[in-house]
Amino acid sequence: MEEQARLRVMVVDDHPMWRDAVTADLEAAGLTVVATASTGTEAINRFRATHPQVVVLDLQIPAPTGVEVTATVLQDDPSARVLILSASGEQDDVLEAVKAGATGYLVKSASREELIAAVRRVSVGDSVFTPGLAGLVLGEFRRMSQDPGPAMPPGEQLTDRETEVLKMVAKGLSYKQIAERLVLSHRTVQNHVQNTLRKLQLHNRVELTRYAIEQGLDDE
Amino acid sequence: MTVRAVVAVEDRMFRALAWLRLVVLANALVLNVYRHNFDHPVAGWACVALMVVWTAYAIATYAKPIRRTVRLTVADLAIAVGLLVATPWVKGEWFNATIPGFWIMGALLAWAVRYGWRGGLFAAVVLGGTDRLIRADFDQGNYGYVFLIVLGGPIVGYLVESLQQMASERDRAEREAAAAAERARLARVVHDGVLQVLALVQRRGAELGGEAEELGRLAGDQERALRTLIRSQDRLVADEGPTTADLAAALAALGERPGVEVAVPGGPVRLAPHVAAEVVAVVGACLDNVNRHVGEGAAAWVLLDDLGDQIAVSVRDEGPGIPEGRLGEARASGRLGISESIEGRVRDLGGTATLTTGADGTEWELVVPKERS
Repeated sequence: MEEQARLRVMVVDDHPMWRDAVTADLEAAGLTVVATASTGTEAINRFRATHPQVVVLDLQIPAPTGVEVTATVLQDDPSARVLILSASGEQDDVLEAVKAGATGYLVKSASREELIAAVRRVSVGDSVFTPGLAGLVLGEFRRMSQDPGPAMPPGEQLTDRETEVLKMVAKGLSYKQIAERLVLSHRTVQNHVQNTLRKLQLHNRVELTRYAIEQGLDDE
Repeated sequence: MTVRAVVAVEDRMFRALAWLRLVVLANALVLNVYRHNFDHPVAGWACVALMVVWTAYAIATYAKPIRRTVRLTVADLAIAVGLLVATPWVKGEWFNATIPGFWIMGALLAWAVRYGWRGGLFAAVVLGGTDRLIRADFDQGNYGYVFLIVLGGPIVGYLVESLQQMASERDRAEREAAAAAERARLARVVHDGVLQVLALVQRRGAELGGEAEELGRLAGDQERALRTLIRSQDRLVADEGPTTADLAAALAALGERPGVEVAVPGGPVRLAPHVAAEVVAVVGACLDNVNRHVGEGAAAWVLLDDLGDQIAVSVRDEGPGIPEGRLGEARASGRLGISESIEGRVRDLGGTATLTTGADGTEWELVVPKERS
């Protein structure tokens, strides 16, 4: 509990009312907000100065975009975690942010309790999904496996169990319900979910590298 | 037509014409050297020299859009006519080939490119007419040559005009696409601001309680409706034609119903329009059923899974489930139950509908092949 109370968080949102509301909620719950930022540039600079453990990030911010901020801060400090808190229905942006390494996604209409729980869960390495995000990620793996190009290496494909768990998340089942249905431990379900994200990010990195090699940028 | 498109096509044409001018000049040079049949050699070679100089000057001058003046085109045509007119005097009255020969194509095509089919026709008539007038002996071969010129000039002119029109249509389409993208971007910025405020009102309302809670709930409804609208609009832009429909967009619109959460893949999922419409109708019937048996606005989840050659749609609720035997009862008593109607409609699409029901809820799984019309 003592460990959690000192959780260091940065809040990035260009809307001052939101920034203040989220900061107040997190501090009331005993978390430390070490920095706030309203643009992508501010976010990256203040992240480097304050080393927060969790970044609560709105995707619609002045440049660089939330997706770029996600990629940059995680490259700087891979142990940090990014939780996307987005108002809009920009599902494509959310998917891009997740590919860039974000491990959580919440819609802004989520309650204060849901937000705090999500920050805590993300900080210990869990991933926070909505059914909508799970549907997008599932769709992304379906698209990749139907791609007529070179076959995906087995390490990037989902196992049958992972697909099953991901589908259940997309159908709105909680991790607890999934664990009961599949007779698994909560931890195992969580691991399956995390693996799907890890594979998506891995695939994204491999794609980027392939692209870089094709474009002859790899010797930079 | 836009100036930009007109100039772009002209630039291309004059670049091609520059090469053509060199080819016809080389042809004229070789023929004149080979024949070497001038009555007045000095005047003859002066004519040939004029062709060389003018070709070089014309290529350099036509290359710049600003220098393609009436004076230039008139001079171009006048020199070609002048060389034709000089032929009977330089070569003698009974000459066979004119001094410039095919070299006059340079001026003819320049007119066609610059002034369209009318310009091409005018230059062709002037050159063809001159050719006719200078000849004491106008035979069938000469007639064929003039006839081809008078046909070719306007045809090239017409083609150039068509190209210019197509280029400006393409320009306009590109500009419209860019404008639409910019409008969409602005709309997103505005929508995001509205969504932020609605979500904030919802959140603060829940915290304050009382009347504010009701306001917050209303804001929440609007927020969800707007989010669904934006998502379906985003998908509308990507739609390609009436031969297929995007099932993902159509199902996402169901997220507007209270309590319903829809999960779909990122891109469009294309099906024949009648199949997509029927699937959406069946899913709507499933959701109506949730409202009837679990409660108005009860939580329900819709998932669209694109399996390549078929699609799977699941509709799940967490109600008390359908009691054992009730479906069979309804069927036995001859009443067409909701379950029968759902199964029948999906079967008509060549698919299957599976019902799983228990204490922790009810789930329909519809699997339908992607039939292409």
